[in-house]
Amino acid sequence: MNMAGSYAVNLDFEACKACGYCRLVCPRGVYREGPAFNRKGFKVPLVAEESLCTGCLRCFYVCPDFCLDITPSASGAVREKTL
Amino acid sequence: MDRLAVKYLRPRKTPSTACSGCGLGQVHKKILLAIEQLGLGINDIVWGTGIGCSGRQTFNTWKGDNFAGTHGRVYALATGLRLALPEDKKIILTVGDGDAFGIGLSHLLHCARRNAGITVIVADNFGYQSTGGQYGYTTPQSRVTDSSPYGLTDPNWLQNGLDILNLLRDAGAGFLARHLSFEGQNAVESIKRAIGNKGFSLVHIIYPCVTHFGEISLKTGDREAIFRWFENLFDGRSGDPGTPAFKSGIFHDAVGARPEFSAALKAWTSSLRQKENPRA
Repeated sequence: MNMAGSYAVNLDFEACKACGYCRLVCPRGVYREGPAFNRKGFKVPLVAEESLCTGCLRCFYVCPDFCLDITPSASGAVREKTL
Repeated sequence: MDRLAVKYLRPRKTPSTACSGCGLGQVHKKILLAIEQLGLGINDIVWGTGIGCSGRQTFNTWKGDNFAGTHGRVYALATGLRLALPEDKKIILTVGDGDAFGIGLSHLLHCARRNAGITVIVADNFGYQSTGGQYGYTTPQSRVTDSSPYGLTDPNWLQNGLDILNLLRDAGAGFLARHLSFEGQNAVESIKRAIGNKGFSLVHIIYPCVTHFGEISLKTGDREAIFRWFENLFDGRSGDPGTPAFKSGIFHDAVGARPEFSAALKAWTSSLRQKENPRA
């Protein structure tokens, strides 16, 4: 079942430290290098293709700074998957 | 902040002061996920911390009761707390590799021997990274560190036939597991099993230090290169005989096989009181 488009990717711009792990583990290319710096001087990734997110949660598990949440955007629960 | 931080962590401590790319937050997050999935709340847990990166970044972040132990002594403090607290109150300790496997090793072994009802999460960054990257008890052999400029010759706890988890198993630990901080729900499941154990549990989680271990020992600050190096430590993917190789998952599970320390001591005390004063 294609789950793409069912999830909202919420990135806390100011809490992000731009480690880049989310971009590294995302198998769908949801994230791209962002154009902007936050107040701490980190160049925060851009959620460029939210509609491609399948809710695998890989990015959520590796985000070390509690700045990323993946939530169902419409109906259905987030599918849990291990790395 | 994500939902876990909002629910369980103090706002002024989030985000932490950890370096960009430090894996400690990944360890922290997995503990919170385990707590959430077990249905535990702020008042169900007392959180203790050691010293170093792991202690500093997790100290006083928990919204509920928490404390910091002196270096390597948090296990002894927690053993006392275990006796004082009700059985259903969980004690979780987040400590580093130096705290657990070096300076505090004797306390840790005695905690396992007694089967005290405590969950220890060892966040291992392969050395004393908060003080500048000196080698510790799990630093991979031959690695250049701040205190081994020609490469480390000191044997560690993880290579050449040694495994610190064997020692803890022989000391009587009820549950032992090992994971990498990048892992997902499988690491959370181990932590859930550890917290659910009424006796002593320890989960050893290896995580990357990008600032000191990365730049001094791996000679790169590139997050992807560091990520791949750590990922390859598991399941024999490295192919380098000089690099430690780990298996991810449960190492030892003897949950419930031995009586828990505080419950046994309370039962024994109660039987003594009964014997001394049967009419009481």
